Amino acid sequence: MTAMSDALLEVRGLKVGFPTPEGLVRASDTVDLEIYPRETLGLIGETGSGKTVLGMAILRLLQPNTIIEGEIRYRGRDLLSLPEAEMQRVRGREIGIVLQNSGTSLNPVYTVGTQIAEAVILHQGLSGPDARQRAVELLDAVGIPDPVRMAGEYPHRFSGGMRERALIATALACRPNLLIADEPTKGLDAVTKRGIVDLFSEIDRDHSVLFITHDIETAGDLATRVAVMYAGEIVEIGGAEEVLGDPAHPYTRGLLASLPERGMQPIPGSAPSLITLPSGCRFSPRCGCAVENCSREHPGLVEVGSGHYARCMLYD
Amino acid sequence: MNGIYLLKRLITSFAAFCIAVTIMFALLRLMPGDYITMYLEAIYRYAPPDVVEAFNHVYGLDRPILEQYVIYLLDAFRGNWGYSFIYKVPVLTVIGERLVWTLILLLPATILATLAGIGIGAYSGWRRGSKTDIALLNSMIIIRAIPSYWLALMILIIFAYYLNLFPLGGYVDTGALTTGIDPLDVANHAVLPVLTLFLFSVTGTYYLMRSSMLMTAGEDYITTARAKGLDELMILRKHALKNAMLPMVTLITFECAGMITGSIFVETIFSWPGLGMLTYKALAVRDLPLLQGILLIDTLFVIAANIAADLIYPLVDPRVQVGDDA
Amino acid sequence: MHKKIVLAASLGIVFAYCAVALLAPVIAPYDPHAITGAPLSPPDRDHLLGTNDLAQDIFSGLIWGTRATLLLGFVGAAIAVTVGTAAGIVSGYYGGLIDEAVMRLLDVAMTIPIFPLLLILTTFFRPGIYLIAVLMGLLGSFQGVRLIRSQVLSLAVADFVVGTRALGAGDGYIMARHILPGVLPLAGVKFVTSAQHFMLIGIGLGFLGITDPSVVDWGQMINRASQNGAMILGLWWWLIPPGLAVTLISLALAWLGYACEDEINPRLRVMRV
Repeated sequence: MTAMSDALLEVRGLKVGFPTPEGLVRASDTVDLEIYPRETLGLIGETGSGKTVLGMAILRLLQPNTIIEGEIRYRGRDLLSLPEAEMQRVRGREIGIVLQNSGTSLNPVYTVGTQIAEAVILHQGLSGPDARQRAVELLDAVGIPDPVRMAGEYPHRFSGGMRERALIATALACRPNLLIADEPTKGLDAVTKRGIVDLFSEIDRDHSVLFITHDIETAGDLATRVAVMYAGEIVEIGGAEEVLGDPAHPYTRGLLASLPERGMQPIPGSAPSLITLPSGCRFSPRCGCAVENCSREHPGLVEVGSGHYARCMLYD
Repeated sequence: MNGIYLLKRLITSFAAFCIAVTIMFALLRLMPGDYITMYLEAIYRYAPPDVVEAFNHVYGLDRPILEQYVIYLLDAFRGNWGYSFIYKVPVLTVIGERLVWTLILLLPATILATLAGIGIGAYSGWRRGSKTDIALLNSMIIIRAIPSYWLALMILIIFAYYLNLFPLGGYVDTGALTTGIDPLDVANHAVLPVLTLFLFSVTGTYYLMRSSMLMTAGEDYITTARAKGLDELMILRKHALKNAMLPMVTLITFECAGMITGSIFVETIFSWPGLGMLTYKALAVRDLPLLQGILLIDTLFVIAANIAADLIYPLVDPRVQVGDDA
Repeated sequence: MHKKIVLAASLGIVFAYCAVALLAPVIAPYDPHAITGAPLSPPDRDHLLGTNDLAQDIFSGLIWGTRATLLLGFVGAAIAVTVGTAAGIVSGYYGGLIDEAVMRLLDVAMTIPIFPLLLILTTFFRPGIYLIAVLMGLLGSFQGVRLIRSQVLSLAVADFVVGTRALGAGDGYIMARHILPGVLPLAGVKFVTSAQHFMLIGIGLGFLGITDPSVVDWGQMINRASQNGAMILGLWWWLIPPGLAVTLISLALAWLGYACEDEINPRLRVMRV
């Protein structure tokens, strides 16, 4: 993979570890990826594959005792070495994030309008009433009906889908260049989910989006490029059509085969513990194509097509 | 729902008051031997039968037990709590005089302890695992483990006896006999008892606030606030503190009940003329009407604290509102 | 590491107190009630901590006082935890009307301030030490009911409980075999913290003059010393030792309680000590 200078965000050799009494949890291991202006990168993986950690690591939102190595370059500046005060100016203004649990991600004791206005006042220096007005506009833009009234309501008055929209409005409040969205469709019913996906297809016209999801179809709908994570590593990355249309990695193939309309064949076995990872290829214990070498050698990413890489011995 | 909740609280409070009265009534009836004779003998050393009979009549002790109970209960609600045996005046009069003195100690101690406990607890919980947090937590555990009566004695010995900074006890100087009561003098006497009660109470508030803050600090909306680019102090002040304080509103009422216990020891040790010292004196001579009065006034104190908490809670938590079904 | 040292020290202190209580007749040089020499004599070889105003040996009183302290704390806590756990399990498991009734009763009971009530009851019944412990245990069980109940509420709908019921198990069996083990850790923590609390309260009663005349208790010793001028006369060996003794055991139990609570409540676990 070659580093391209026109990327908005470049992640290089990112390692994230959580020290626990049982050992170091390697939530992210030597991850490389880049996000270009106005593209949507879909990050796919099972629960516990490290995709949420990756999103949080970009904005340095992980616990203080987390061990982070590597580089996260945003417009050429390494976010990992920024002083905290400067990092605060990046959060919300340059990069916005929609956290995973919309039900608990809004503060219950403030109105939704106040919480959106907060970021606007902080980063854009707007006065209270102006920020308020901006909050109403944002709520309107994300499709909340009767935005003037809803801006004055507390989060417990919002339904699940509306909370998701309110969170998206909060993240977009200061017009960030990059929006990280962590499972924004999780736990929503089919109709509400459709609405959120449609909202994102509008948003990604003006913003770069890192769309984290375990839902392959949603990723296929929105993403220009797709990265697949397994056990803390990126195992396949490339254009959405290539990766999802002609998957190279056995894990990606397995994920696609487990979709309801493709026969619902689950991948045998379960994801490994991030403390005691299998030797060699991390997917090898579950892989149908595994050969003897797979459990000994750890494969690197190999180019299998134009801009399409896979981490598999098959292509070595 | 809040209306119904308040109604429930009122019924509970009413029942609690009735039960406190009933316990006292039952105790008086269970008293071995003739109650009046015993007390007249205890206090005046003799009990002529005609006087005993007259007293029995005055107190209605010669009527059927059910009637006695009803009268007793009604009297309790009317504020007729009987006569103190040692002071020979209505119980409520004695209590009224002493209540002021107890409040002089309890109010500043409770307010200071609540503010300090919330402040220090919030900081400790926010900076969990830091050196400051661990040092604070351990000092609080140690202070809390010291019995309040022992703490009071040690404070008295160190600050009043050895360092001679404050008076050894009482509420005014002997000079007050000629010059009248000087508020500054009273304040000077109140410093050590207030300090003891403060130390006794601050640890509880601190611990509750710290736990509450630990819970709050891990909430998703704190991460949202951080993701917006707010600095740590703003997040603590605007987002964490308010949420962490919600459970404190109800928990502080428990501390109020605890303060009653603390004040009994502290007033006894510092010879402070409040309800606590009154309790000690009433216990020594087994002045049951007075003890009943103290129990009832303490119950009313807890009821008031509970109702105050019920009324304050909807003001601070938007999820609980009148008409809400939360 | 530091945490383990404190935990070991706490356990050591508790065991040492138990040993002293058991061996009191062997360790104490005198009968704590006996007149053993001159009153108010300072510490010397015969009287390690001197004598009080009645010429009783203070060291012997301190040793014998351990018994009353531990008895008040542990018997009181055993009663409080047993009653609290039983009521909490029944209330939380059956739910419905039983639960509602228990909770409303608790609301009422917890509105009456417990300590003044305890003072009145113990004064009235001219207390023996067991009676004091039982009264403290009963009055102190209320909070435990709530604590245990809330735990039971989540256990009662747990899959393994529902599954056991589907197998045809009776309520008694489920409560004893599946619910009780689930609340035991919590009850254990409650036992430790209650024991600490009841020791302080029990000795406090002694300090206020509510005491069993047949036993020696530290509260009575502190009260006697402070009332008879130990402070003014500078007789530290009379006033200080019983207070230190109660503070030490209280501290040990407090730390033990926090350590146990840390173990079972991982969300609050942050290297407390």
